[in-house]
Parts: sequence; structure tokens; C-alpha cells
Amino acid sequence: MSETGVQQGDAALAASADALEWPVERLIRPAKRRLRARDLIGMAPVVRTLAARDFKVKYKQSALGPLWLVFQPIALLAGFLVAFRGLADVQTGVPYTVFALVGLTVWAFFQASMTIGTASVVTNLNYVRFTPCPRPAFPIAATIASLPAFAVTAAGAIVAALVSGVLSPRVVLVPFVLVWLVTLTLGLVAISSALTVRYRDIANALPFLLQVGLFLAPVGYPLADLSDTVRAIVDANPLTGIIEAFRWTMLSGYQPSAEPLIISAVETVVLAVAGWRFFSLRETTMADDI
Amino acid sequence: MEAAVRDGGRPVAIQADGVSKRYRLGEHRSLRLTAKRLARRVGNEDLPAFDALDGVDFTCLRGEALGIVGANGSGKSTLLQILSGTTLPTGGEMRVCGRVVPLLAVGLGFHPELTGHENVTLFATSLGIPRDAIEHRMDAVTEFAELERHMDTPVKRFSNGMISRLSFAIAMQLPADIYVFDEVLAVVDAEFQARCLAEIRGLHAAGRTVIFVSHDRDQVAEVCERVLWLEHGRLRDSGSPEAILDSYEHVSD
Repeated sequence: MSETGVQQGDAALAASADALEWPVERLIRPAKRRLRARDLIGMAPVVRTLAARDFKVKYKQSALGPLWLVFQPIALLAGFLVAFRGLADVQTGVPYTVFALVGLTVWAFFQASMTIGTASVVTNLNYVRFTPCPRPAFPIAATIASLPAFAVTAAGAIVAALVSGVLSPRVVLVPFVLVWLVTLTLGLVAISSALTVRYRDIANALPFLLQVGLFLAPVGYPLADLSDTVRAIVDANPLTGIIEAFRWTMLSGYQPSAEPLIISAVETVVLAVAGWRFFSLRETTMADDI
Repeated sequence: MEAAVRDGGRPVAIQADGVSKRYRLGEHRSLRLTAKRLARRVGNEDLPAFDALDGVDFTCLRGEALGIVGANGSGKSTLLQILSGTTLPTGGEMRVCGRVVPLLAVGLGFHPELTGHENVTLFATSLGIPRDAIEHRMDAVTEFAELERHMDTPVKRFSNGMISRLSFAIAMQLPADIYVFDEVLAVVDAEFQARCLAEIRGLHAAGRTVIFVSHDRDQVAEVCERVLWLEHGRLRDSGSPEAILDSYEHVSD
């Protein structure tokens, strides 16, 4: 909420019968936007509570609980081993299992965040309609709730790299690349969750788009094997550069190509800014549209 | 700001000046129609409009218990939504001093998989109440809702009555300056209703501002010092409960 009002003067407070619980005056009036980027800091407590809820709810009443975090990437890895290793015999310069595991770590996080994040505003329909809960908290919390799964799969990838003897000391840079990945994801989730409030079409299109995205990113295959045309398409995928960056930080001897890194960095900045601008524009009428 | 805050020595809690809310009617939400409109470069302006609120002015002093009456569709809920910050007006402005805790619907917003305790924390956090203040009031919420043994049970196992009680407990026991109730007492039994009314009068007695919307004449008369009468999105009249309720019922009958 935009606290356009300032703190009341001490004199006014002393004069009143009871001190206010929250001595802030809000001015509510027509506006295209009511949130500013700095308001995001004040949302930290509600983001934390919502993220804890999203994580908890995902595994409540499931016998295996958070073990599901591990199964999904392992199942995909098994599929990749058959599809890409067994049939195409991919040459990657590092053991294929480790190579694919790093890609899958990034992909699993992106897919989970996009799936939960896109639906995050509409699934919290009643909060949007009946409380002033800051709307950006929903997609942000959904993204953060996917981080524990990332930590588990990333740890698995690092251990696999260590065992194979290809772990790079650059692994200390992983947190920075993670910030990059989270920024990109937040930008996309902001756009898709705000669009879903008006157009439920997004919910139908998303699984299909994610499936296509999985094959248009170098999750299970190296960029070097691609023809020029396909390579141009895959390079344009904002995840491509991030996957390459993760491989470079985790795996010694891995040579990333520069183009996708640059393309992805530019796309991340554009999408993060566009995501915030679009969401903050749309959030003022979410209670009316939902 | 000082001028707006003080009125005859008593501070102002809510100052509404020409508050309006215009909705666009029609199916402008579908993708196909939006694409068509974009292609023709027209906005929503040509769609038929509906004024849920049309220039409402009122002042509510701090510590006042203000009732709002009006037929369905007169704009009561829209006014409370704007006051609570869930939606923005399309015209005019409203100054609100202090924290608002709204009860706009009973039990909606609880997450079925979370426990009572977790739901209270989530709801209160979403209203911007600091965590230590929530924990400080948790016993009061639990006690008022009579859920001492159930606060660690997922809300999906709650009965409707338990859910309503928890809603009311949150809306009345959390620290706030302005308490907002939108036609919510109708869903609970007579005994709990009486407790809620007593609690609302208690909030008022403690100097809190109360905004109370109800179709029940007796409840409004019991709780409120002053009543606003909305009709077709406009303020038709305001004054003492007796005067307003009499002429309102006269028109309704």
C-alpha cells in the first residue's frame, strides 16, 4: 500500500485520547500505480509467511513429503540418460550425468516457480478480494518456496561433480548465478501471474510452453551439437545463458559460449523491469478483475 | 494534513471526498475481445459503465461507531473495499488514519491445509501487523474463538461455526485503529452474535473506530452512534441511528 501520508506529529498524537496503533495516514485516490519498488522491502514479513505456507502446503499429507524434491529431477535424469546419452551419444567434455544434473537443477527450479507462481494470485483469490495483502507478495513467495528444492538438487549436482572429479572452485560463485536465475524467474512470474488474473488461458498454455522450453534450452544436450538455425533459437532462450553460467561455475574444464550469456543477461534485466512495471500497473484492479 | 486530521477537537479517522467507483460492464476480459479492441485502438471507454459509488462524502471521527445501511447494490461493500485498500476508487479521495482491520467476508482466505494458528498469523501478516504484535494477541484470538484445543488442527477439519468464530476473533482481537465489519454477523448463531456485538461495543468503548454494515436494524441501533444511508452509490442521508433507520425502513417498505 502506498503510505503517502507521513507520520503524525507528536502533538497530534499526544492530544488524541488514545495513541494510534499505527500512526500513519493513507491517502487513497485513483492511481495507475500505487506501489513503488521500495515498497517491496516492507513486504518481507508477508512474503516470508506466504512462502512458508506454499512450501508446507505442497508436501502436507504426502507420505514422502519433501523427498519429492529429489525424485522429479532424478526421473528426468533417467529419461535424459536414455534419450540423449544412449541414443545420440552426446559429447559434453564432462561426464554426462553431471552435465545434465546441473541443467536439471536450473530447470526444475524454473518449472516449479513458473507453475506455482503463475497461479499464485488467482489461487489466493480470497486474499486478493478481501484483504489489502500486497499483491506482489504472492508471486514472490511462490518463487521463494521453490528455493529449498533448488538447494537439494544443486547440492546433488555439486556432490556428483565432486565424485566425478570435475568440481570447479568457481562453485563459490553459484549464489550470484542463483540471484540471476531468481531475477529472471520473478520477472516472468510477475507477468504471467498478472495476466492469469484476466486471462485464464495462461494456465492452459503454461504446461505446454514449459514443455517446449525444456527442449529449447540446453538442459540435456550441449550447445555445440546444434545446427546454426536451432542454435539461434536456443541462444535466444533466456534460460540458456543461465544454464551455461551454472555449468561454468560448477564444472571445471567447461567452456561456456559468450553469446547466450550476454543475450540472457540483457533479457533478464528487460524482463525484470517489464515484469515489475506490468504487475504494479495491473495489481490496482486485481480485486475487481479476479 | 493537520486540518484534515482535526475536526472540532476530535481527530478524524476517515475523510472521504467525492469517492467514486466506476466499473465497466460487458465481457471486456476475454482475450479475443481484448485483441479486437487493441486492433481498433479503443480502450474501455465505450463500454457501458456502472457507478457503484458516485461522489460519496463523509467524515468519520476517531473513536466513532459508524453504521452504513442501504439496499443491495447501494455501494456499501465497494466503499468498505476502498477503505480497506483492496481496490482503488476511480474518482475522489479518501484519507484514512491508522490501521484498518477489515472483516469483509467470513472464513474466506483461510487456507484449508494450514492450522488455525498458522492461518491467524498469515491473515494478520497480510494486513501488515508485525509478527510480535500477532503473537502477543494470539491468546486473545484463541480464547475469543473458543478454539483452545484446535489451534494446531488444519482448518479443513474445522466446522463452519469454528471457522466463523476464528474469523471474528481475528477481526476483533488484532490491534487496529479502525475495525470494519461488512454484513458478517448474519452467519453465526444468536449466542455468538450477542458476544460479537458486546465485543464490538467494547472496541468502541476503548476508543477504537468501528465501521459497521448490517441489514439488521437492531444491530445497527445497538452498535452505532451515527449512520450513513447509501442509495445507488450516493449518500442519501446521515444522522442518528433512530432518524436514519426510521426513514430507511419507511422507504424499504
